[in-house]
Amino acid sequence: MIAIAGPNLPIPLLAATGRFAGALKFDPDRETPRADAWLESKFAPWAPPLLEAWAHGEYNDLDEVLFSRADDTSQRLYYYICELQRRGQIGGPEPLILDVCKIPRQASLERTITKLKELAERLGVGAASLQEAIDSSNRQGEQARSQTEAPVCLLAGTAPPDLRLHKVIENCGYAAAGSTLEQGWLEAGDAIDAGEADPFAALGRHLHASTRGPRSFADAREALTHSIAASAAQAVVLWRIEEDEAQCWQLPAERETLEAAGIPSLILTRRDWHARDGAPEEIANFLKKVQT
Amino acid sequence: MSQSINQRSRKTLACTSEATAFQKAFGKELKRRVVDEQEPYAIVQADTPHEIFHAMDIPIITNQWWSAYISAKQLSGRYFDAMVQKGFPANSCKYCSLGLACTLANEPETAPWGGLPTPTVLVARLTCDCIQHVFGLWAKELDSEFYPMEAPAWEHKEEDWYAHAKDAWDRVYQPDRIEQMVTEMEDLIALLEERTGRKFDPARLERLMERINEQEGYIWEAAQAIGEARPCPVSIAEQMPNTMIPQWHRGSDWAVAHAKKFRDEVFDRIEKGLGASSNERLRLMWIGAGVWHDPGFYQALEEKLGAVFVWSMYMPFAGPAYIRDLKGKPMEALASRVASMNETLHLPPWMNGWMTSEAERCGIDAAVILLPPDNRLSQSGTNLTALSLEEAGVPVLRIDADMVDADKWDHDRMVAMVEDFLHEKGLA
Repeated sequence: MIAIAGPNLPIPLLAATGRFAGALKFDPDRETPRADAWLESKFAPWAPPLLEAWAHGEYNDLDEVLFSRADDTSQRLYYYICELQRRGQIGGPEPLILDVCKIPRQASLERTITKLKELAERLGVGAASLQEAIDSSNRQGEQARSQTEAPVCLLAGTAPPDLRLHKVIENCGYAAAGSTLEQGWLEAGDAIDAGEADPFAALGRHLHASTRGPRSFADAREALTHSIAASAAQAVVLWRIEEDEAQCWQLPAERETLEAAGIPSLILTRRDWHARDGAPEEIANFLKKVQT
Repeated sequence: MSQSINQRSRKTLACTSEATAFQKAFGKELKRRVVDEQEPYAIVQADTPHEIFHAMDIPIITNQWWSAYISAKQLSGRYFDAMVQKGFPANSCKYCSLGLACTLANEPETAPWGGLPTPTVLVARLTCDCIQHVFGLWAKELDSEFYPMEAPAWEHKEEDWYAHAKDAWDRVYQPDRIEQMVTEMEDLIALLEERTGRKFDPARLERLMERINEQEGYIWEAAQAIGEARPCPVSIAEQMPNTMIPQWHRGSDWAVAHAKKFRDEVFDRIEKGLGASSNERLRLMWIGAGVWHDPGFYQALEEKLGAVFVWSMYMPFAGPAYIRDLKGKPMEALASRVASMNETLHLPPWMNGWMTSEAERCGIDAAVILLPPDNRLSQSGTNLTALSLEEAGVPVLRIDADMVDADKWDHDRMVAMVEDFLHEKGLA
């Protein structure tokens, strides 16, 4: 079995192996004494509980875990785990890394496709089975676009560890749009071009251009506008955690976008990933005010 | 911040003041070319291929140098405040963003040089998640273009990379990573030729690379001699400027000559049995950015305990990071140099493998590691390096980076911390 730990990874290719186990599961609230001895403080807060679980052998049923170079925590964690295994301090599955390049330049696109093909060869996935998985992914994406009666509140910004903030929104009578960390890692995003003759090139092009992840070169205004339109949001909570050192640079642009959209919004920055800092209450108060 | 008579470090080499004087004059010359003469120029990160610009005679302003220049004028707080007022969170990464903050503040009356004119291009290698955003915003503010470079994944891992970096770089740094960087450098050259009208001459790059090998060879010879010599002939406070200032100008006649002069002064002191301290009993390693606002810190325990800081990364890194057998492929050799700067200094197995080896080479008794400040994931690798050193029998004191912040610095407290650590480990 193979699992993932990071964004911008080739979900259809992994599905085509027939042994895809999804994203690594971890308890975001667990104590992390072993991981804390190895990781520095600025790793994204999902890294310590994941490494702690790894060190306790909780992923030993897996053969491989794929990390992403399109996220600094994911890629550095890959090197740490390789080293800890080399030194015999942890065991578990074999760590792999996919060199996803995001620079909008031909050389970066070509490298992404090349690395995708190398991964496919390693995992024994051919073009026909990948094409089938891409078609299936696109169909699932269509079906997933559900309609809701309730007004929608978009939870944008940092992906939360689980549904704890979504539930706050739902308890206020809204449908919550926006992904958790795990959902974000697993979502394929927009449909992959099924018309391209080479499915590896199609998937590589899709990963390279994806607007998700901290290394996306997408315009922040356009990305937020697109998310608001796609979810038909009537309110937006833009929530970013203390450790978010990438997308926080887009905050002024996002603030302008929200003002221009004329949608009620709540901007919370430098927050606790575990939402133990009063964020749920602030979100609830905001949505109650919007309703009145 | 407590004051101390130890705050000034002793300078023993004639070439140290020559290096700092050269750098001061260089700042004026750079301003003349970039601001007064309005030459095309580039803003670049420290870990980008400066050699391309040097070979094309295009002036560069290195982001880290420009940040230090702004900081030295006590303007960083003012500009970071201005950035927050523009809507950026106060926790945004400070390390690489001071230049952007200065531009966003848009205060020609306070900015060094009145602020920077529009550059031809801004270049950064994407070694963290935030630099593309910083440079993208900066390029937009300056009405210029950002040329990002990939930092590809490095799956080929050699713990003793430093032993093969010179002659087997094409294997050590992974062929497809080198090829990727060469392609990007060729695209960058095409962009520069088009925008500046200056032509890239491969033969000139090759000559430059040969001169850099000569320059860094002198530094590496001196580093090896310092590792073997007892007592250590030169303090780390003098190792650093004599390595780094020529490195900003690598391959130039001045830089090569200065490196040679530095090596000769080091050799001369060793031959005469002169030490940075007259009382060397313990050899210490400093891992992390330097405490340049109190260089006397490094010498504070020499007299009392004979504890001498003999190693910091800047000087010994010159050998494995810079020297390359060209093999008739200067672009590839250059790519191998640039492709792994952050990785070898901040990721396992390269960082801990090299530093553990260096501790052994230099007879280190104990190490002091500066844990990275909260705003820099790109400075990772310290905890695993500390564990590697301890496994190798080198006791390690970890110091939180906040404590070395110039505003919070307490000289006496920090010296006491090192002293207590050495006593606790039975070394003093």
